[in-house]
Amino acid sequence: MNDPISTFKLFGLTFNIGNMVSVTVAAVFVFLFVFICSRKLQVIPSGKQNLLEMIVDFTNGIVNTSVEGAKAKVYGLFAFVLFVFIFISNQMGLLFQIDYNGVAYVKSPTSDPIVTLTLAAITLAWAHFAGVSKLGFKGYFSSTYLKPFKLWLPLNVFEELANFLTLGLRLYGNIFAGELLLGLLSKLALGYGVLGYVPSVLVAMIWEAFSIFIGSVQAFVFVTLTFVYISQKIQPEE
Amino acid sequence: MLSHSLLPTVAVTDGGGLYYGNMIFTALVFIILMLLIMKFAWKPLSEMMEKRANKIADDINSAEKSRKDAEDLAKQREDALAKSREDATDIINNAKQSAQVQSDQIVTTARNDAQSIKASAQKDIEQERKDALANTKNDVANLSIEIASKIIQKELKADDQKALIDSYIEGLGKQDAR
Repeated sequence: MNDPISTFKLFGLTFNIGNMVSVTVAAVFVFLFVFICSRKLQVIPSGKQNLLEMIVDFTNGIVNTSVEGAKAKVYGLFAFVLFVFIFISNQMGLLFQIDYNGVAYVKSPTSDPIVTLTLAAITLAWAHFAGVSKLGFKGYFSSTYLKPFKLWLPLNVFEELANFLTLGLRLYGNIFAGELLLGLLSKLALGYGVLGYVPSVLVAMIWEAFSIFIGSVQAFVFVTLTFVYISQKIQPEE
Repeated sequence: MLSHSLLPTVAVTDGGGLYYGNMIFTALVFIILMLLIMKFAWKPLSEMMEKRANKIADDINSAEKSRKDAEDLAKQREDALAKSREDATDIINNAKQSAQVQSDQIVTTARNDAQSIKASAQKDIEQERKDALANTKNDVANLSIEIASKIIQKELKADDQKALIDSYIEGLGKQDAR
């Protein structure tokens, strides 16, 4: 858990360099992927454009199950970027991990709770903002915190906090566990010669496959829950 | 050193502390990524998808329209065909009828003509026979006169002469009556 990290302080805040590099690399990958796939768009799609449109249709489908009508268009981009970013972040650590002086500089950004909680914070901030802009502050406040009756206020506040933590930490836990076990398996492979190498490669292959699956499912779950929360905020209950 | 005073110092720690600065950094990167994707991929892609949706809708509509047109046209042709068949039957029937009428007329006229020709021929024959009879009478009379004059010249008795003529005329009258 307590792997060494390299940090610096700026404006009284601590920054983790390895984490920043990972996030930036993931963002660059996402942008390059989307940018390359969206060149030479045609009415009759082919190849990479099909892939991109498949993803867009998929995320639009997630949005449409929770948010209806014209509002869905506004959230399409958010869902798309969120999904692709989390998906690529999840798979990044499975492909490679770059260490320097014992500090991991490139790994899955989503195996860091700070990153996943940031994504959860963006999501929920948007959800609350959408709630206020749709229902007005009074309507938002009463539909979010005073339901089913006013005494429920503390529980509702706690629920919002729980939403934030579970949304972020679920993703972090899944991806971190995947990377942790891969790291242990690689230690096993290097530590015991051929005796440890062969079984650890076999187990690592199985675990990689499972982690790819987990990473995809978690990206889907994160985006789906995002829009469940948003739809809860923008439609008055009852 | 200048860098020492301005740049923050990098320290390797054991990872125990929290690094809130990364929240700001991550949020910033995510928002920039979203804006870039919106500009370079999302907008053109959405436009293209909408264009395609419109095109497909248009194509379906026009296909529906041309199908309907074709159906109408086929129906018109069928109607026209049925009508022309009916017309043809009518024309044939009319022709048959008028041909029948005409042929009847021709036959009737021919029959009448034949009848009238026959009648006039009979009349002519009768007339000629009468004329011939009259001529014969005259000829006989003249002949008789000549004979008589010749006989007279040979001094024939008047009584014999008379008896001869009478018997002759009687014979003619019998022939005429028959």
